[in-house]
Amino acid sequence: MKTDDKMLSAYVDGELDATASLELEREMAQNPALRASYERLRQLSAAVREKAEYYPSPTRHKFAPATRSRWLWLAPAFAFALVAGFGLGFFVSQPGEDETTSTEIVASHVRATLANRLVDVVSSDQHTVKPWLSSRLPFSPTVVDLSGDGFSLKGARLDYIGSQPVAALVYQRRQHVIDVFVWPAGKEAVKTAYTRDGFNVQHFARGGMRYWVISDLNKNELDDFAKLLK
Amino acid sequence: MSRGPFEEVVLPYADAAYNLARWLTKNDHDADDVMQEAMLRAYKFYPGLRGEARPWLLAIVRNACWTWLGKNRPAELALVDEPEADTPGPDVLLARELDRRMLNDAIASLPVPFREALVLRELEDLSYKQIAQIAEVPIGTVMSRLARARRLLAEKLSLTTAAPRLRVHK
Repeated sequence: MKTDDKMLSAYVDGELDATASLELEREMAQNPALRASYERLRQLSAAVREKAEYYPSPTRHKFAPATRSRWLWLAPAFAFALVAGFGLGFFVSQPGEDETTSTEIVASHVRATLANRLVDVVSSDQHTVKPWLSSRLPFSPTVVDLSGDGFSLKGARLDYIGSQPVAALVYQRRQHVIDVFVWPAGKEAVKTAYTRDGFNVQHFARGGMRYWVISDLNKNELDDFAKLLK
Repeated sequence: MSRGPFEEVVLPYADAAYNLARWLTKNDHDADDVMQEAMLRAYKFYPGLRGEARPWLLAIVRNACWTWLGKNRPAELALVDEPEADTPGPDVLLARELDRRMLNDAIASLPVPFREALVLRELEDLSYKQIAQIAEVPIGTVMSRLARARRLLAEKLSLTTAAPRLRVHK
């Protein structure tokens, strides 16, 4: 039988079966060089365990992505917050598809704003943002530069809405952050605009894509913004 | 089998996941990108999880890393020669004398398949069987990759002393 690196290494890892281990131990007892070789391997393994860097994850990866079920899990907490008078909760009874999406979008916008995790790619250049998104999504959203109209592009992030990955483009007008969620539309959406939890929301479809625009910007300016997107 | 929410079952292993992504991509920025994608994927496929969450998550991260490397640094995934080691490894400094920085650089310079096997074994303490499942290779391949990883490490860290012949025939 050949005793090689592979067997010694597996022995160091405690992955040799009993028979092979016994045989190797017997061999090492008669062969000091083999024994020394084993000792070195064991020390190397110990050194790696002791001295190799362990990179802990940044906090932002320790939250679940935004989806409907996530919010269902959090429902009791929200109910509690509501009862406790924090006024954080929002309640949806019998949600329709758009209703659910709307809830998720408000939630995503609020969470991104609160956690200050608005953008995964920071860039005011549409030619940077677009390829970044299309390399990570099964579609390629249109990214326009509206800085000439007073809406500066801050970047984009990935999100998860209605059981699918979506693009979230982030624009800014003065101190107001505008999130634009984009994904391919299964069917044409009715254009809607409304206010929810103090945020103005616009919903429309264009070029086979569905757009949800949300911001705490006033309704008129958000209308202007939405018109520019269309 | 009923499980708790994703947050309780999978997210405790975010550190393990990130550590693997960081070692395979070798920088924070790229690890972050890969991690983002892997966690979305994990979340999506969470209902299909059977068995242990940690190796499952690590397999997702590992695949995301390979996809990313294939797209961005294909040269790193070029088929590595995995010859049978038939010559003895060189002398290594004693563990306590090994410089931390040198050791980390040496690990980072290992080819991807060896590096991932080493990280999963030494930093995650996974069994050969678990590593085989994550890397989608036979257990024998895990065994030879780890041996090869350690040999390469030893070579990089060696004092270049001539080693005695250690191979034994019986």
